[in-house]
Amino acid sequence: MKGRVTQRLILKDWQLNRPMIALSILGGLLALGVLLIGGQTPFVLGAAFFFVSMIFCASLLPMSNILNERKKQTLAFMMSLPISAAQYGTAKLVSTLGMFLIPWLTLIAAALYVILWRHVLPNGVIPTALILAVLPLLGFCLITGTALVSESERWGTAAMAVVNSSYWIAWYLLVSQFPSLTRTWTSPVAVWNAVEVEILVTEFAVIVIALGLTVVLQSRKRDFV
Amino acid sequence: MSHMAIELEGVCKSYRFFALQNVTVKVPQGTIMGLIGPNGAGKSTTMRILMGLLRQDRGEVRVLGRRMPEEQVIAKWDIGFASEDMRLYDTATLGWHMNFMKSIYDSWDAGYAQLLLQRFGLRAEQKIKGLSHGQRVKAALLLVFARRPKLLVLDEPTTGLDPVARHEILRELSAVMASEDRSVLFSSQNTQDVEQISDSITFIDRGRVIDSMDKEAYLDRWRRLRLEVPAGVALPSLPGIAGVRQTGRLAVAIANKFAPDLPRAYESSGAHVRAVENMTLEEIFVANVEHNREEVQA
Repeated sequence: MKGRVTQRLILKDWQLNRPMIALSILGGLLALGVLLIGGQTPFVLGAAFFFVSMIFCASLLPMSNILNERKKQTLAFMMSLPISAAQYGTAKLVSTLGMFLIPWLTLIAAALYVILWRHVLPNGVIPTALILAVLPLLGFCLITGTALVSESERWGTAAMAVVNSSYWIAWYLLVSQFPSLTRTWTSPVAVWNAVEVEILVTEFAVIVIALGLTVVLQSRKRDFV
Repeated sequence: MSHMAIELEGVCKSYRFFALQNVTVKVPQGTIMGLIGPNGAGKSTTMRILMGLLRQDRGEVRVLGRRMPEEQVIAKWDIGFASEDMRLYDTATLGWHMNFMKSIYDSWDAGYAQLLLQRFGLRAEQKIKGLSHGQRVKAALLLVFARRPKLLVLDEPTTGLDPVARHEILRELSAVMASEDRSVLFSSQNTQDVEQISDSITFIDRGRVIDSMDKEAYLDRWRRLRLEVPAGVALPSLPGIAGVRQTGRLAVAIANKFAPDLPRAYESSGAHVRAVENMTLEEIFVANVEHNREEVQA
């Protein structure tokens, strides 16, 4: 008896969603390529498309990997396999998170490479860039949790709309409410102050809470199909 | 170890506009049970409870000796489930699905899977989105059959299929039953399909099991009596008669517990028995549902 069904489910999700992961990475790398041209307009365009690539992946991956399972009626096929609802939920959470982390980490690594080695931007922007880049991860976790727990396209779309329209507000509030974030942008070295560390820790705390709540609520479900 | 492949005892499940009420069904190992009911009768809900996909509000459910839904993970290794509304992944090929199942189940029989590909006229390299409805159903059943599970739970597998495809599937289902320890619970609105392959039959309507017994016993117990009723004669109310419809001097009595003395009882009341006819399973089903609904309303 093969007991690694959960792993098979994760692998299956990765196989079926490869095109979307590749598209997100490609989009992000192209944006960084634009950034490399130098100048204000390429910077604005490159930075904007870089984050759009992350947001695209953060929004569409939960829809494609979680909600489509119910919408396209493949959920019954999955649940007929020897797994429990909790195992299915865990597999979905791990596979979706893993699929998002691939382009997310790749793009962050590429962005750091562009800043640190190609010197397109001063190293002082690194703390702010990382704080802003964690927001799509946080948004992704909120959309994924809502999609998985509700299994409802309506709720998933609502979460996506709220999260996506909140990015710009969050970025504006961060920059306007915490002047220390922008103070070191022109510094030749990355300087981490207490506020930046606190913001980053808060972001990751919210991510952990969102994922934890998702696991708890998913494991308490009674009906699946 | 229980001799029952499936045991449902007093199972209840309530929704806002529908309730499964006190469902008790037993399927002995090595038999095929047909579950017949109209749309919205509770067939799919019953099957989903059996698979652990829904948790019953009350009652006991055991499948292959395992309590459901608590022991569903162990039980599902030996259960093959397919339903009419179950879909495979559109963008993947049938071959991909076969490899996926093979990677999970040690019991996957690759030779039998190839044989089923030929018998069903399917191609492994074809994407699911390019298949017709009938081919999709066959593909889903191939994935179930090739695992060689001990129990098959099939929710309306022949719905929407053309007669040839239906025949192919029923023939394969009969072949699967060549192994004596294999059991099948098979729901359908098509009574011909059920009549063709089932050993026993359960009728379900509006969330309640209205009858459950051996198929031959059903066919044997139900009869249609065509009567001529002379003026001034009133038909007596007899035990074993589920319903009487009278138009002028002609009447039709449906017996659900037919006994040879029933025609004699009508004759002695003054009516003339013109014919005693066997009924098809579909006629029995319709009469049974109507009789049950009248009883509930009364």
